[in-house]
Amino acid sequence: MLIKDVVCPFCGCLCDDLDVEVEGDRIIRVDNACTLGSSTMVGDHRLKNPIRRNGTRWEDTTYDAAIEEAAQILLDADRPVLYGWSSTHGEAQSLGVHLAELIGGVIDSTTSVCHGPSILAIQEVGHPGCTLGQVKNRADLIIYWASNPIDAHPRHMSRYTTYATGFFVQDAQHDRKVIVVDTRRTQSADVADEFLKIKPGGDYAVLLALRAIVRGRADVVPAEVAGVSRVQLIRVAEMCKAAKFGAIFFGLGLTMTAGKNKNVRNAIELTDELNRHTKFIISPMRGHWNVYGSNEVFTWMTGYPYAIDFSRGIAFYNPGETTVIDILSRGECDACLVVASDPAAHFPRSCVEHLAKIPVIQIDPHPNATTHICRLQIPGSVAGIDAAGTAYRMDGVPIRMKSIINTGIPNDTEILQKLYNRVREARGE
Amino acid sequence: MKFLMNTGRTVPQGESVERKDSPEYEKATSVCMIHPVDMMVLGIEDGARVCVKNKSGEVVLVAVSSEAIEQGTIFVPLGPYANHIIDSETHCTGMPDFKSMTVDIEPGDTPVMTVSELIEKLGGVRYAH
Ligand code: SF4
Repeated sequence: MLIKDVVCPFCGCLCDDLDVEVEGDRIIRVDNACTLGSSTMVGDHRLKNPIRRNGTRWEDTTYDAAIEEAAQILLDADRPVLYGWSSTHGEAQSLGVHLAELIGGVIDSTTSVCHGPSILAIQEVGHPGCTLGQVKNRADLIIYWASNPIDAHPRHMSRYTTYATGFFVQDAQHDRKVIVVDTRRTQSADVADEFLKIKPGGDYAVLLALRAIVRGRADVVPAEVAGVSRVQLIRVAEMCKAAKFGAIFFGLGLTMTAGKNKNVRNAIELTDELNRHTKFIISPMRGHWNVYGSNEVFTWMTGYPYAIDFSRGIAFYNPGETTVIDILSRGECDACLVVASDPAAHFPRSCVEHLAKIPVIQIDPHPNATTHICRLQIPGSVAGIDAAGTAYRMDGVPIRMKSIINTGIPNDTEILQKLYNRVREARGE
Repeated sequence: MKFLMNTGRTVPQGESVERKDSPEYEKATSVCMIHPVDMMVLGIEDGARVCVKNKSGEVVLVAVSSEAIEQGTIFVPLGPYANHIIDSETHCTGMPDFKSMTVDIEPGDTPVMTVSELIEKLGGVRYAH
């Protein structure tokens, strides 16, 4: 059976035009997706049932027994952290917040280790953004700053920018200019009209120089800024001012290098400056398919987008203190519930060492690096494949994910609801 | 020899990210891209093993020559290998320096560990799928 307009559960582009052929409970062909999307859709590397660690051995267990054990671990914990949430649907994220509040834990998403600093900057100076539809139909100048869409968001260029035909941009290749700013020449840089190769750690200085030039003060800019010549910076500033609608998409090259949130703030302030001349927007390239959703859901429920600590009985937010890496590196956390992410693969070494010492429960469909450090893993179904749910695209547009095959595996919401109920019951509530 | 380490996504890393115990994922995330001139200075060929270390730890990776990499820097795809040598300091932002760690590189001939061996070294218990 051919199912049309399926949404891809991999990256923040949330492409919603996949054609998927299914046979019974298997996906046999995927059209329109990129390599990352297809390997996600056809991948059959799932954990078949819950597993638990018994000393140094692994054994199979049932959903009910696993949920009971998970509830006990959370009930016994003084400083539990509920982490992950970017590869699950909004309904499960919302249950995560309820559970965190119930047990007085900390809830944090992978935002902490991707665009957390971008959110800090947005909280300082705002976010002049727009939807990807606007970009596709109107933008005649695109800047990818410290992001590499060809590797990380492979269809971003073909659906919304470089190669996408829009209402006011009929001949994309000709009407749309693309600028790439990066510390290395990526494939994305190869297809750009202009490539600014900056020295590592030079983003802040280059952004400041561009702001000065846009303000009419090219005279204060030295002949070279972090490896980029003033001549090229002036040319780029002119291209920006001459555009009818410019869009800056930035990646982790700004958030993970020195300056972090201050780099992003500077980029937003450049956008602000450019808006005195023409229309310009700026947006982060969000990585996981529903990481943006975690920020939305957490914000409407608690007022804060990530790193929320309920230990005081109220929602408390202080990134740098209540963020998962800081809590783990202080050795504070004594139990961790990981949902739909893989901290053992993506956290610094000392944080993984701490996780290996404490009881970790993982709700995730695949055996991953965190499996080796957890006590218990409960596989759930995947939104967009065998579960339905809501996700937020990188531009904040909510998209409904369909369930296209039936595997009989419970979804994350069902698992978390049972866990939540069990914890309440055990506390006599 | 000192280098600035950058990490990030690559297509092979993304393609195999849901099969972390597969040889494809291991291959995709245990590479260390270095500028050809730096390879010469280190006296190594494409495909040689290198020991990358700093105060957080050390890890063996496979060197791959790439002119796209700035001299004095290396690029390692994000994943458990790169994170083995990432420090957890966040400078009060919640975010470690994933893209700006200083590392020392030496040629080496120790084999590259598997993901499960790496995690076992940190205190985990291997789950064989
Ligand atoms: S670009 Fe992202 S959302 Fe679109 S098909 Fe590829 S992985 Fe999926």
